[in-house]
Formats: sequence, structure tokens, C-alpha cells
Amino acid sequence: MLQKKICMVGVYGTGKTCLVQRYVHSIFSARYLSTVGVKIDRKEIALDGQSVMLLLWDLEGRDDHHDVNTSYLRGAHGLIYVVDGTRRETYDQIFEIRDIVTAALGPIPSAVAINKTDLTAEWKLTPADEAAVETHGLHRVRTSAKTGEGVEAMFQWLARSAVGGNGAAQ
Amino acid sequence: MPDNQTTEFAELRQLLVGPEQRRLEALADRLDGMGITPAELADLLPEAIALRSRRDQQLGRALAPTVETALRESIRRNPREIATAIFPVLGPAIRKAIAETMASLVRSINSAVEHSLSPRGLKWRLESWRTGVSFPEIVIKHSLVYRVEQVFLIHAETGLLLCHVSASDLKLPDADLISGMLTAIQDFVRDSFRPAEGGTLRTFSVGDHTVHVEAGPAAVIAAVVRGEAPEGLLRRLQFALESIHLEFATALAEFSGDAAPFEPVRPVLADCLETVLAEPGTGSRKTWLTWALPLLLLVALGAGLAIRSSLRWRRAIAALDAEPGIVVIGGTRDWGRWQIHGLKDPVARDPEAVVRAAGVSVAFLGRWEPYLSLDSAVVVARARKAIGAPADLAMLLRRDTLVLLGTVPLNWLRSIRLADRVVGVGSVNVGELALTLPPDLDSLRRSVATTLVRFDPGSADLTGGASATVAGLAASVRSLVAGVTGAGAWVRIELVGRTDPSGSDLTNQDLAQRRIDRVAARFREAGIAEAVLVPRPVATGRPLASDDPAERARINRSVAVQVTVASRSIDGGKP
Repeated sequence: MLQKKICMVGVYGTGKTCLVQRYVHSIFSARYLSTVGVKIDRKEIALDGQSVMLLLWDLEGRDDHHDVNTSYLRGAHGLIYVVDGTRRETYDQIFEIRDIVTAALGPIPSAVAINKTDLTAEWKLTPADEAAVETHGLHRVRTSAKTGEGVEAMFQWLARSAVGGNGAAQ
Repeated sequence: MPDNQTTEFAELRQLLVGPEQRRLEALADRLDGMGITPAELADLLPEAIALRSRRDQQLGRALAPTVETALRESIRRNPREIATAIFPVLGPAIRKAIAETMASLVRSINSAVEHSLSPRGLKWRLESWRTGVSFPEIVIKHSLVYRVEQVFLIHAETGLLLCHVSASDLKLPDADLISGMLTAIQDFVRDSFRPAEGGTLRTFSVGDHTVHVEAGPAAVIAAVVRGEAPEGLLRRLQFALESIHLEFATALAEFSGDAAPFEPVRPVLADCLETVLAEPGTGSRKTWLTWALPLLLLVALGAGLAIRSSLRWRRAIAALDAEPGIVVIGGTRDWGRWQIHGLKDPVARDPEAVVRAAGVSVAFLGRWEPYLSLDSAVVVARARKAIGAPADLAMLLRRDTLVLLGTVPLNWLRSIRLADRVVGVGSVNVGELALTLPPDLDSLRRSVATTLVRFDPGSADLTGGASATVAGLAASVRSLVAGVTGAGAWVRIELVGRTDPSGSDLTNQDLAQRRIDRVAARFREAGIAEAVLVPRPVATGRPLASDDPAERARINRSVAVQVTVASRSIDGGKP
């Protein structure tokens, strides 16, 4: 079976782990994140009649003390940047993180999950901000780990791009 | 002209070397064409194949698809043909596989049996019951030297699983996640400790599991080992990793998530799986002991039971032997079934009761022939039964004489005497028996005893009243004597002659004798036998008492009759 390594990166507290948990049933506890800095889950999806196993590396969020650990990114076939729509700084840092990642990995299929869409009252991003993501060459998906909005579609898109092997939507 | 010359030259050449030219052209054609005819190819092909095969694998690779297609086509058309052809190859292979499976099964059964009954085995069973882990797993846990349970081949860069093998009894569906985490942990350790170039996490232990990691440039091999893995295993992992790098260099470099090309690695990894159990060597003696101990107890128990049974048997036989009227001739004792045979007097006690009385409660089959015992107790019992004697009548046998003691009614005497016909009884002694008279005789005896024949002073004449008294007495005494002697007893009639104190002793003695004689004469006349009559001329010797002196004198001028009844002859008595 085809396997693809997908990494989730983003600022601390943007909901990466919640997105993964929305998507898969985890066997490892979230404790791994704080001890080892990564937690790995798995999701088998069907893509055009072919089974693909996604191994989702949920990386510890970036904060003042920890930068993104590029060791864990090695060999990744796809990347998800997670932004918390209610915290503008998480959006701003995405581009810094992207520079770090690209330096380590080169161009790979990447999506930006603009998360927590269920919290509309606290929304801090303008439509222009969200659109700007695409001008940076990243695929944009609005997601909510709470309602499940966009989650399935995002992983599906990324799996397709990773299997396609192209650098689509860079 | 030149044209003409050319034509002529050609004609000339045609005439001179025409046939040769045609052959040259044919040769040129063949050289320009493929150059080899099928006939030539048939000659060259075997040699060519051999040559090429020696040089490299190209031919095999080129032919493989064709051969596969041909084979598939052939099987589709006629499967039986292929089946027959490969049977000699498949048969032994299948047999070998089955034999190996059976051998492994037998080994595991042996191991389980070896451990199941020893104290250690019982301890393990308890542990299995307590922890809910299956018994075979507990056995393996304790007798394991080491066991390689899983081997992972992991793509170094992505951490994706290339191949995974595990011991058949383990179920681990999350090999791909473990593969990822192993890689992450490797990265974590490397980032955290920043070891020198090429340094990696080689081993880590969790409980009784150790994970050995061999890292190569493109792939990592990780073995999960339970127990202490030998150095040889690590070398084997290294060797496997090296050969994988060599053979799959391209596949590793081009890997993009598809593990299918690494399927051929599986046997290489499977070779690393192994289980090494502790040698049972020294255990065999212990096993022998663990068998011997219960066996010894069992034997001891059996022996104890046998001894107990034997003792009971002997006690029972001794009791029967000691019992009067029973003679044990023989007996058998098989598996608790007792059979005893011998002789038994009809009046002897029930043999089972005898055995029970000896404190042995056992039911047995007795075969008894009747016989007559001369044992005194049996003779007495037989006599007692014959007489129908009451329990309070004591009997004993002195030599062959049956002696009876106690009191019996007079009319029993005859039947008691018949006891001398009982086997073992020579004679019967009833002399010690006291007799009770039947009521009619008893009242006669009492009336006789209270009647006095009175005389006038100094006289021995029977006056009118006295004569009548004597006549009545005589009738009574005659009836009494007849009744007692008729029953087989003896009787004594004492005639006690008395006088009053007047006169000399000599005359009084004479007077007493004469008075007795007169009464005796009348008794004889009445038909009473002389022999039963005993004269007792006491005169004034044993006077009858009275307060009145005149009355005293009167009652002592008399003859009294005393009757004694006995079961044996008495002085002066006669049956």
C-alpha cells in the first residue's frame, strides 16, 4: 500500500492536534507531543480506487522556546500549516515557518488550514488575509476541528497532491 | 561505340563468369539479410544461451515475462499437466513444511507438559490465572533466553515502514505507527544529545523488551527482542541491513511511499526472528523428582491401604478361628472382595457378626459347610437349644457331663435329662438344680408339713382322731410321692417323732421310735414305699415351741412329716 508522510506544523494552540483527532482515531496519547515533540497517527483513505495510508506527524507547536523541529519534517510528502483564525499572530508566523520548512525540505505539496471557523465572533482575519495565502502559492482550506468543516477535504487534497508527486499549489 | 562496348562487355562477362556472379549475388543477399537461417540458429541457440547466462542475468530477465505468459497459458489450457509435472517438487516441500510445523508443535507441547506439573509449573499456572496472561505465554516468559518478536525495516528519511515481520502469535496492527515513532524517537534523541557524526540510538529497553536499532544511510532495521539478545543477533541485523542496502539501493533512493518493491526483503527479515528457550538439561532430574514424589506418595498410600487391608483380613480370620463352632479352611482377597470358606456348626454365631465384633466392618462372601463341633461352648449352646432352656439357667460342660445350675420347675426334669442325647454330651448332671413344685403338689406338701399326728401322754397308740389324721396324711404323702417320683425327682419323707419332757430320755427315745413305727406302718399300709420313709426319733431333742407349757407338751407328743424333694438321689430318698 502506498504510504505518505504528512506533517502538521503551526504555532502553539492553533488546533493541529484537534484537527488530527477529528480525522483519525489516535492510539498515542497527546503526551508524546510534550515529551518527544511529535505524535504520529494514521489514516487510510481511498483515492481513485487506490488505498493510501497517510501517516500524520503532528509536530509540537511553535512557541517562544521551541522552533519547528525540522528533523521531524525529513522525507515528508505533504505539509499542513495550521492557522488559528482568532489569533492574528498565528497567521503572520506561517510565512516565517514556511521559510524554515522550505529551506529544509524544498518544495512539497502544502496546504494552509485556516482553523476554528466556528468561532466567527472572534475572527481576526480579513478575507484579504485569507486570499493572500493563495498568492503565496499555498492551498487554502477553511477548517473547524469542532464542526469538522473542511477537514476531510483538506486531507483529501493533500493526499492527492502527494500521490501526484507534483509540486502543485506551491 | 562506348555504349556498344559496354553491352558487349556485359554479355562477355555473362558468358564467362555468369554462374559465379549469380552465386556471388546470392551470398551478398544473405550477408545483407539477417545472416542466420533457422537451421543455423537451431544449432547455435543452446550454446548461445549457455554463454550469455554465464555472462549476466539479462537473458533471464528478458525471458521472464514470456515464460510467465507461457506458463500461465499452459496452466489455463491444461492444469493437470503442470500439476503432474511439479508434484514431485511440491510433495516433499509440503511434507517438509508440515513436518517442521509438527515438530514445533510437539516441542511446545513438551515444554508445556514439562512445566505444567512441576511446582514451578503450578506457580506459573497461578501466575497465568492471576494476571490473565495465557499459560504458554507465561511459560515462554520464564523459560525464554531471548526471542526476536518483530523486525522492522524503516525508510530512514520518511520513517515510513518498508517491511515488517513478527512472530506468528503476535498481533500488532500498528507497525506503521511504531515505525514512525521509532524514527521520531531517533530524531528526538539525535536532536537532544547531538551525538558525534553518525551516532544513533542503538538500543533501548522497556520492561523485558529491548529494541535494537541498526541504522544505515537509507534504511533502518529495528528488532524488538524479549530477553537477552546475543551479540550474534546484532551482527545478523547489520548483515541483513547491508545486504538490503546493496540489493535495494535504487528502490531505497526512489522510495516515495510505495513499499511493494520491498516485499522480497521479508524472508531476510524473517531469518532474524528466532526464539531461544532455556535448555531443559538440568531440569530433567527435577522433572523426574517431581514425578517421583507424588508416585512415592501414591505407592506409600497403596502400601498403607494394602497393609491395613491385610491386618483387617488377619484380624477377621483370627476372630473366626477363635470362634467356637467355626473352622476357617481358606479364603481369598482380591481387590477388596473377600471370600471365606470353612465349616460352621449350626448353632455357632453368624460369621459376619463375629467379624464385626472383632472391629472389622466388611461385607464378605462366606461359604460354610455344616458340621458338629465338640467345643464345650458349642455343645452347651446345642444342649440349651435342644432343651429350650431359659437364659437364667446356667449350663456348663465338665468333660462330657452337662451340669445345670439354678432352679427349674419339677416337670422340666424329664426333658432336661434328654439333653444326654445331644451330640457332645455324655451325661447330664441335674443334681445341682433346685426344683419348684407345681401348685397342687406344693399345697399338698404344705398341708402335710403343718399336720401333726398327736398321741396321748406316754402312749404310741393311734386313737380315733389320730388314726383319721394319719389316714389323711398317708393319702396326701402317697400323692406327693407319686407326683414327685413320676417327674423323675427324688423325695424323702422324714417322720419326726417327739415326746413331752416327762419321763427319762431313754423311755422318751423309745416312745418316739414307737410312735414313728405306728405311723410308718400305716403309711406302708397305704402303699407308700418303705425306702422314702426316714425315721427321725428326736424325742425331746428338737421340740416344737409354744408359750403355753400344757400346749407345748401336747404338740410335742406327736409325729410330724417333713417332705424333701430333690433332683438327685438323697439319703433315704428314691425316685
